[in-house]
Amino acid sequence: MIGDMVQAYLALSGILFVIGAAGLMLRRSPLVMLMCVEIMLNAANLAFVAFARHLGNMEGHIFTFLVITVAAAEVAIGLAIIVLLFRERDAADVDDVNTLRG
Amino acid sequence: MQQYSLLLPEIILAGLGLLLLALDLTVSSKRTLAVAGVIGTLATLAAVVANFGAPATEIWSGTIRVDAFAQYFKLIFAVILGLVFLFSGEYLERREVKVGEFYILVTFATLGAFLMASSLELITIYIGLELMTISSYVLAGMLRNDARSSEASIKFFLMGALTSGVILYGLSLLYGLTGSTHLAEIAAGLAASPNASLITAAGVFIIAGFGFKIAAVPFHMWAPDTYEGAPTPVSAFLITASEAAGFAALLRILLVGLAPALPQWQAVLAVIAFVTMTFGNVTAIVQTRTKRMLAYSAIAQAGYVLVGVAVATPESVSAMLFYLMVYAFSTIGAFAVVIMLSNHVPSEEIEDFKGLARRAPAFALSMAFLLLSLIGVPPTGGFFGKLSLYRAAVDGGMVWLALAMVLNSAISVPYYFNVIRNMYLAEGPSTALGARPGLKIALGISVAATLLLGVFPEPLVGLLRTLHIMP
Repeated sequence: MIGDMVQAYLALSGILFVIGAAGLMLRRSPLVMLMCVEIMLNAANLAFVAFARHLGNMEGHIFTFLVITVAAAEVAIGLAIIVLLFRERDAADVDDVNTLRG
Repeated sequence: MQQYSLLLPEIILAGLGLLLLALDLTVSSKRTLAVAGVIGTLATLAAVVANFGAPATEIWSGTIRVDAFAQYFKLIFAVILGLVFLFSGEYLERREVKVGEFYILVTFATLGAFLMASSLELITIYIGLELMTISSYVLAGMLRNDARSSEASIKFFLMGALTSGVILYGLSLLYGLTGSTHLAEIAAGLAASPNASLITAAGVFIIAGFGFKIAAVPFHMWAPDTYEGAPTPVSAFLITASEAAGFAALLRILLVGLAPALPQWQAVLAVIAFVTMTFGNVTAIVQTRTKRMLAYSAIAQAGYVLVGVAVATPESVSAMLFYLMVYAFSTIGAFAVVIMLSNHVPSEEIEDFKGLARRAPAFALSMAFLLLSLIGVPPTGGFFGKLSLYRAAVDGGMVWLALAMVLNSAISVPYYFNVIRNMYLAEGPSTALGARPGLKIALGISVAATLLLGVFPEPLVGLLRTLHIMP
């Protein structure tokens, strides 16, 4: 029965991916952009888990666990970089971060 | 036990990272760390070379694959790491970067690149990719007193995170289509699968994702900012090792995993290659800052290498592998000169090269030679590399792309010569400049390798002929 629902899960994962990508393009706060990245990664996770359940094998589940772990590391680094940025110029907006041009 | 001997390069490199971590806490002289790093890299190199003759083997349920293709890329990465250890010290101390952390992170980033090259398993490739990029985000932001460095870091981070999301989504589609995360099984599954639209979607995600990684146009916008703002040794590492690792993974995924769907991508890849080299070269002409110029030059060079992917014949792959090796040496050497100069003149403008021929004749001569290699003038390795790429493109039926490469080499002459003109013809300050022995050794190795690959390319070409990407 779950196997029949794989398309619904995939549709949801596609929607999440688009929300994440759109947010990353449109929003200007680095923190919100970081959250959008997380949404994108979770969209991929959902697709992996749905496929794994549908196909009945384990690789997708294992991949998801590893992605969650990596995403945690990525967030830790991302927040550190954002803190560094705030400390330097109180930048709540990535459009203000524009010293490098050419 | 044989498994461990095949994994020895990675084990040594991981051990080196941990050793540096311990040394950083206990030893006060940071030069000790660089020496330990160079020794560790030499040990890694020895382990890589020792594994070269071994037949292709997959260990640990196919998660790690040790074959000549992987060993060749590991050779490139290890050489780059060693040169970075050699030439970074003085720059890092002058800019008050935490030297120990830099060495540790660059070691782990190289370990990630090793893993990316040595697997046909998507999970390992993904983990290697993330290990490399997450270390690189931190490296790019290591100049803590410089606002440009944190800007480089945040831009690199946001684009890099987007990239991994896009790649991951493409990988999940591949997995869903075939039920496997192993590229050989994916290829078999795709050949049997009728779902052409999902295969195309997976291809789009993967090419776009790795396009970001190798800074191909139109996915390049982060690259000039990141390469300009990051500490110069980090820029050198990213432009060479990170890009080569991206190409290693892209080659494996496209030429092994997506092989059944490859013909429909070749035209797209050829257009991307053409746009990338043209855009990089044209934009580089108007740059006034050294690192930014080299960043656009790196984009153009990525375009040349992409020609090898687009043509996708065994000849074109071995031509691009040769070119990647030459490119690594030429670029790292050029960066060694840039680092030497910025140790004395921190502004890093192209104008700073004025009068370098009198201030440091050996450095100026080396720089001129390496730039000639990047243009592709004989007797440098760059000439031979471009010639074989050109020949592979013609043989592969993409004559227009070969012509575009030749035209692009001509377009690239002005901005490389601008540096040479500044060094030799312009008047500048006359104080002599020097550098530490490590930097001189790194520059010497780069120049010697570029020259050797140009004069005696045969041994490497012969080696590349025996090297197969397919399982």
